[in-house]
Amino acid sequence: MSAETINSLLSFQPDAPELQRKREYDREAREFVKHINGSTPVTFLKGADSPQDPLNVLDPTTNAIAYAYTLRHRIEAAIKQTPDQVRPGGSLWNKLVLFLESFDPIQMRYAGEQWRKLVDYVEVAARNEGAPALAIAPIRSAMFRLDPTTGTFTSTHLRFIQLCMETRSYKAALPVLNNYIHSLPAAIAKETLDDLEYSVVAADSVASGEYINLKSGHTAKISLTDLQEYYVLGAMAYLGERQVKDALHFLEHVLVTPANNALNGLMLEAYKKWVLISCLADKSYKTPPRTMSSAAVKHCKNAAKAYEALAEAFQQLNNLPKLKAQVNAGSEIWAEDGNTGLVEELLEHQNRAYLSRLSRTFSAIPVSNIASNVGSSVDQVTTFVGSLIQQGLLNARLEANDKSGAGAVLRFYLDPTQGPLAKTEKQQQQALFEQTQRTDALAEQVKDADYRLSITKEYVEYVKRQKKKNGAGGGGGADAMDMTFDDGDMDEDIMGDMR
Amino acid sequence: MAKDAADTPFFQKRKSEGQIVVKDPPKFDLESYISNYDGFTRADRLRHIGSHSTYLAVDAYRTAIAEAKRGKNVKLYLDLVEEFAQIAPDDPAALTDTTWAMERTKKVEAEKDKLEHELKSYKNNMIKESIRMGNEDMGHFYYAAGDYSLAHKAYMRMREHCTSPKHLADMTLRLLLVTIAQKSWLTVQSHIAKVDSTQVKGDEKAKLEPIVSACAGLAHMGALNFRDAATAFINTSPAFLTAEPAAGITWQREVITGNDIAVYGGLCALASMDRSQLKDRVLDNNDFRNFLELEPHIRRAINLFCASKYSACLEVLENYRNDYLLDVYLSKVLSDIYGRIRRKSIVQYFIPFSCVTLDEMASKFQLTSEYGSIEDELETMINNGTLDARIDLVDRLLISPPTNPRYNVHADALAMAETYDHTLRLRLTRLNMLAAGFEVRQDKGGSKEAAYKDSSFGDGISAGLRGIGSKMGFS
Repeated sequence: MSAETINSLLSFQPDAPELQRKREYDREAREFVKHINGSTPVTFLKGADSPQDPLNVLDPTTNAIAYAYTLRHRIEAAIKQTPDQVRPGGSLWNKLVLFLESFDPIQMRYAGEQWRKLVDYVEVAARNEGAPALAIAPIRSAMFRLDPTTGTFTSTHLRFIQLCMETRSYKAALPVLNNYIHSLPAAIAKETLDDLEYSVVAADSVASGEYINLKSGHTAKISLTDLQEYYVLGAMAYLGERQVKDALHFLEHVLVTPANNALNGLMLEAYKKWVLISCLADKSYKTPPRTMSSAAVKHCKNAAKAYEALAEAFQQLNNLPKLKAQVNAGSEIWAEDGNTGLVEELLEHQNRAYLSRLSRTFSAIPVSNIASNVGSSVDQVTTFVGSLIQQGLLNARLEANDKSGAGAVLRFYLDPTQGPLAKTEKQQQQALFEQTQRTDALAEQVKDADYRLSITKEYVEYVKRQKKKNGAGGGGGADAMDMTFDDGDMDEDIMGDMR
Repeated sequence: MAKDAADTPFFQKRKSEGQIVVKDPPKFDLESYISNYDGFTRADRLRHIGSHSTYLAVDAYRTAIAEAKRGKNVKLYLDLVEEFAQIAPDDPAALTDTTWAMERTKKVEAEKDKLEHELKSYKNNMIKESIRMGNEDMGHFYYAAGDYSLAHKAYMRMREHCTSPKHLADMTLRLLLVTIAQKSWLTVQSHIAKVDSTQVKGDEKAKLEPIVSACAGLAHMGALNFRDAATAFINTSPAFLTAEPAAGITWQREVITGNDIAVYGGLCALASMDRSQLKDRVLDNNDFRNFLELEPHIRRAINLFCASKYSACLEVLENYRNDYLLDVYLSKVLSDIYGRIRRKSIVQYFIPFSCVTLDEMASKFQLTSEYGSIEDELETMINNGTLDARIDLVDRLLISPPTNPRYNVHADALAMAETYDHTLRLRLTRLNMLAAGFEVRQDKGGSKEAAYKDSSFGDGISAGLRGIGSKMGFS
């Protein structure tokens, strides 16, 4: 036997210090939280503003739990007595921001309540100052420190996006929005948590859905409308940043809400915007996502007939007057729904869609031809086309014509590897590679969601009943618990060739 | 006279209705053309020619009216006379012969009563064969009187009294004829299938085959399935030309002649097959050669197409456009067939080139009335995906776009993966929402979200969810 085999056989050491340490850590952390919870608020106020100030002694990166408790109580007291300290620029504000940017993420998994309150204080303080934008950066870094994927929905998510929309800081919202919400905080039975059956909170590789749940205190109770609002606002933020496709995808998350032959207002609003944005994104109005329930589709279509008609008019690229007439006919509806801006965008966009369709038919076309087709002057069209090329929306170039009098010529690049929009093979490969990683991550998240379902009370009861039905011999439960998620790897195989 | 006919109210009206009106004289001679036909199709074809060709209208209607007067179909006669009166009011044939019509109507009524009476007595006697024949007579009678739906019903009633496969086959053939007369092609197709599955064997079966395939071709062509039509026509055996009457019908005179098969089959093949198929399956087909010899210009057109002389081929076809427009079955589908042949010629012509000037295209392919210029036609073809090319309006070129399969595969893979990824995310979102008990309910009073621990949130749902979870990998 080679040394290697022996090494691999000996690789599991139940007494290994690392293994012990995590469980130990977990126990200690829980004990500590329980203990510190029992202390009276006065304890934390002792020694304030003295050289022995606990906030100076404690280090947020190593004593995060203690620091968080102390900080919270100090702020609570300060709001009543010396509100200046909490104002942006004040001493406590500075400490708070420093803490949110540097706390130890593992420890804060145990002190969810404190984390949430501190995040709330930042927002309140910034609002009191009349400068809510000040709170965006600290909140965001707090979210990312706690959960680098920001993929478990919390009430903070909604507060955050509301804040961003209020202050029109769309760009600041993107890092959070770009992360897919893969888990919703679940209600997990206390026993499951205590016996570490679900997960060891302190473990290095856990999905955020495991330590952020309804009992951990990181989030207030969330409702369906909270989640839907987050998606709708997120879509608006994407639109603000001109990421039309992402906006479309965000709205689709609202559309797929499970609906029992009913709609809610947010779904309808999302659908209306979705119809408009799908025109902007793909130049064509497509069918709603399949995951959406058919009854919901029907209800939406009935309630948003004006929008459907608009989308249909948009399809007829050669018929600008029709679209204009539709836009004018429904102007009250758009205004009422707050979609006037989008509708106007649609009007502008039709010309662009018309031009990009030309690239499928022509390799070169004099601008004067286009101008006579759209019914505007040559100069206007030339500037418009020029701006489109500059924005990278057309893979084409404008060139002066050698023949006299014909004016400029729009020439499309036929080969996708040429022209300003061309992608090299390397770029493509990189894109494919990134996609593979995203898919892999998603497979993990699905697995996680599946596991979470398998520990719900309802499922356990269902398994019990199944077992009874199958008689004593049936091992149905064990079978159902099987984690057969290997088929998710199919994608990987397809991609495998390209690496 | 031709000019006069074009100005008559009848043709004015037809023109305003968007019907086809042919002004130029056709290449065939009406007399000899119509002498090839018998039965219902004779009057039908004459009427079609009369109502479509201003040149032949008067002659065609005169012959048709004389024809109708010999038959039992009084309504047809009255219709024909009415139409003719709008074309040539002064012609003696345009005056309704009321006495004849009255007498004939009476006679027909009397015959109908007699037949019905006979059938009743047969039924009382319960002799199967007599009942079958009684029904058959009724069918023949209605068919002759031009009431095809009643004829169809009468023939259908024969079914339960048929005793031998031959009877069944005859009955189905009769039904086939009636449905062809009605021009309801879908029913024709179902009857053809029935004829095919009858139990007749040996010689009898061999006799039926050419008839079946000719009718199948006709039905497919009527239903715009040109490829199936072409296959059926070119597989028709030359025995069709000399076949004896089946079920009392001389198919090659009463329905479709050998010339028709050559024309229909040739055109459908041109519209639906590529060059090698045309050569293998049409020109080198010994059976079909017999038909093609009847219509040498179709043969020439196909030859020219195979030799890549597309403009010459189109020219030949264009010369015969008027004739074909006057054919009762072709006139409706002709523009479609011609359009297909033309588009296919353009595509085939362009394949070997990487770039062709538009002027060259325009001279090779004479413009039809449909499009204003060759650019417009090409643009339409590119837009609907028929032609893979790009137009350069500056240098007036038609360019074949460079392809880059490697790039395309990468781009497609990426796009597919993204869609897949997104779909999966949507499903996971929905699953998470369901798991958290988020659902839009109809009840107005209560809160919209069901409480998570609500016991009515059934175990079934939760269990079903796990199913979704494991299925999400694929679907």
